[in-house]
Amino acid sequence: MPGLSFLSPLFLLGALAIAVPIALHLFQRRTEKVVPFAAVRLMHGAPVEEQHRRRLRERVLLALRVSALLLLAFAFARPYLVGANSGGAMPMTVVAVDVSMSVSGRGQFDAARALAREAIDDAPATHLVAVVRFDDHATVVAPPSSDRGAALAAIDGLEAGVGGTRFRTALSRAAEVIGPQGGRLVVVTDLQRGGWDASDEGSVPDGLEIVVRIVPAPEGNLAVTSVRREADGVAALVHNYGERLVRVPVRLAIDGQAAGAMEIEVAAQASGEARFAVDVPARGALLIEIDDRDGYPGDNRRYAVLDPPPAVPVLVLTAEAVLSNAGLYLQRALEVAGGDAPFEVALIDGRRFSASPSLEDRAAVFISGTRSLNREGREALAAYLQSGGQVFLTLGPDVDIATLRDTVGVAIGVEPDPVRASGGATTLVPADTRHPVFRPFSSPAAAFGDVDVTEYRQVREEAGWRVLARFAGGAVALAERPVGAGRLVVFASDLDTRWNQFPLNPAFVPFVVEMARYLTSGRQAQHTWTLPEAPPGHDGTPGIVEMEAPVAGGVARRAAVNVDVRESNPAAMTAEAFDANLTRRAAVARPAAESEAREQEAQQRLWQFGLLVMLVALAGESFLGRRAV
Amino acid sequence: MAAVMRSNFLDPAVVARLGTLDLKAKTIVEGFLSGLHRSPFRGFSVEFAEYRQYMPGDDLQTIDWKVFARSDRHVVKKFEEETNLDCHLLVDVSASMGYGSQGVTKIEYASYLAGALAYLMNRQRDAAGLIAFDDRIVQMLPPSARPGHLVSLLVALERLTLGHRTNVAKPLGDLARALSKRGLVIVISDLLDDPARVIEGLKHFHHRGTDVIVFHVLDRDELTFPFDEAARFRDMETDEEVLASPAAVRGQYLQEIEGLVARYRRELGASGIDYCLLDTSQPLELALMAYLSARGRAL
Repeated sequence: MPGLSFLSPLFLLGALAIAVPIALHLFQRRTEKVVPFAAVRLMHGAPVEEQHRRRLRERVLLALRVSALLLLAFAFARPYLVGANSGGAMPMTVVAVDVSMSVSGRGQFDAARALAREAIDDAPATHLVAVVRFDDHATVVAPPSSDRGAALAAIDGLEAGVGGTRFRTALSRAAEVIGPQGGRLVVVTDLQRGGWDASDEGSVPDGLEIVVRIVPAPEGNLAVTSVRREADGVAALVHNYGERLVRVPVRLAIDGQAAGAMEIEVAAQASGEARFAVDVPARGALLIEIDDRDGYPGDNRRYAVLDPPPAVPVLVLTAEAVLSNAGLYLQRALEVAGGDAPFEVALIDGRRFSASPSLEDRAAVFISGTRSLNREGREALAAYLQSGGQVFLTLGPDVDIATLRDTVGVAIGVEPDPVRASGGATTLVPADTRHPVFRPFSSPAAAFGDVDVTEYRQVREEAGWRVLARFAGGAVALAERPVGAGRLVVFASDLDTRWNQFPLNPAFVPFVVEMARYLTSGRQAQHTWTLPEAPPGHDGTPGIVEMEAPVAGGVARRAAVNVDVRESNPAAMTAEAFDANLTRRAAVARPAAESEAREQEAQQRLWQFGLLVMLVALAGESFLGRRAV
Repeated sequence: MAAVMRSNFLDPAVVARLGTLDLKAKTIVEGFLSGLHRSPFRGFSVEFAEYRQYMPGDDLQTIDWKVFARSDRHVVKKFEEETNLDCHLLVDVSASMGYGSQGVTKIEYASYLAGALAYLMNRQRDAAGLIAFDDRIVQMLPPSARPGHLVSLLVALERLTLGHRTNVAKPLGDLARALSKRGLVIVISDLLDDPARVIEGLKHFHHRGTDVIVFHVLDRDELTFPFDEAARFRDMETDEEVLASPAAVRGQYLQEIEGLVARYRRELGASGIDYCLLDTSQPLELALMAYLSARGRAL
């Protein structure tokens, strides 16, 4: 028998609020005093019938108010119907069907459907059945029910896509559906080896019976694994996951127009390169396509965008004239950053900057010296920081400590006299290795351990500073703090090889680039997406995606969305290997039951009806209330 | 003018605090009569009957020496010891008479008035009787001028209890049919009944040659409807409730009550019936004046 249950039953206590309108109703009745009067027969203004009508209206108003409050509490308690189709305490057979790209080979998914149907047919008569589809995500397509026809229909409606395989996600979701009453989980999959992603999380309870129905993998698969622009054309890599050499027709299209075709030989379990010597436009979209009738169709095409990514404007501010070496290392390090996030670096000395200070379009400012800044220049920098600007400040010999407060807008506690390192030199020690600027270093301590610094300035570690690195003696070497709406990062020595040789260290360029990316995060454009990651609002179909301009009136950007090449490898594991990778946990009934309840509540959405009826009741109350005497 | 009258006469609320009805009636009447010495009504209380020839044994104090000076005859004044005026005090004891907002209810006011009138009648050797009624006659004391009768009447007035619905016409009709002697009928009621039936009933007396005085007793609230909060107005006789906002019904109500009073005044006056509207905050002496005026006509 269907029954009503609640996801958040404590909200039902809110129904006690009905005491308020009831009390007001009763109180109001009591305050409407009765006046014994002798000449009532002479009063014709308010006949007795109206009194009855008013009583009725008051009762209706009370009923509407009470109903509105009850419905509000009802809606917040998130009700759902627990019925014959909801699972109850019956054991269950859940069929988890792999719909990733690795089951999209010829005939594979038909086999998968057949296996899934068999699993439904073989389910014990006492079991409810449910169907979960999974790739990168797991979705219940047929909720637990005794209606096997619905489950079979859901299976018939499944199609393989271009997503990846995530076994842990699928198993965890299916286990949630089964819940504490237990049952059987049938996994219909090709057992792709890459399906056990280490970053994937999920487990199944101990004792859950898991049956694997294996969809045969194709004998081989050809996949376009990369496309890139070359100086003389376009190069594409095609990988052969099969066990025999194949000849592969490869076609190139630029902006939808065929631009070349060739056939290449690709050895077994190897990659072959297809190079097209064509004139490649500065802007446009590339498509490399191969023919692979037996493999997965999703990886037969690969897309790339030729549009140069918009460079992020960065300013390097020096104390000396441009002809000197000041700021040179910073400039060069920033200029080598390419790929999807290049920087447009401008080098300027303090005098020229002060003459016409303009920082509005600068994503970040690197300061190697401030001595030549005049008041206008300092004020412009301070205002830039206050309004959200990002500043990297080196505290080398070209920095005027006396005017530093004016330059950054706040007192940052720097001792005016430089400190000479004891022993002649000290090294950098990252204090917060999780910080984004240390991301490219597998071992930040080792990378910065051989940076010799002979002189630096003492930065007082005051409130507000976040120390990212220290000198070996413990003094602050690299720190950041918010200034107004902006951010100031301070390096306590210089980056012009006068107090240290850091610019000549291998860690310098990645450090500066990551620092620039950190400071300009949010200003770079992403041109390539690999599923399941996709641009906001995109449906996850591989191809070229037109994205809206980031600002009004700006240029619309394009991005290429491609499948994850890890999904192209059809190599499968054995059922034993699959089972060995399973993460089992002690069965905990409550979370699973709660999860099922949440799912049922989400499907039924009775709270929406409750709120709708509540609004109708309030509208009626408002209408009647206005008519009340 | 009202303020002046209040200063000369007794406030009914003050009268209400006096002990027994006997004392109340005496206070009202004696005060009233002492006031009459300064009023145009002087002389109504002197009951002179006739002259007759002095007979040996007569009290010398009774000889009218002025007549002896003019006519050289000894005559004595003869004062009439008894009167031929029968007066019926009809007091409405229906439930609506229980209303009061001025420190005294209408039934109390009616009792004081009837008591004072009875006291005055007794003092003037008139025979006073009492009939209490609601929709029927609930108590009846035949008129009598005996000194002990006044006490009985005052006790009866003091013991009056509120009855049910008003039906002035029926007891009036019953009484009119029972009266065999001309006299005076004084009706003390709030007359909250069908005015046509009330007037018709009163006319019965007049047609039989009986003088009628109607004291229409109403509370100040009934005349001004001073309420300002919405309330359920419950009829004191029928328990019928009317939910009303006073601001909304005041105009209509006042129009109704003024129309009712005007109709009584007009139609009763046209029938030769004295009509006197009293609100319970008015001094009872005004009612006594009305009585004396009517009595003068009745004799």
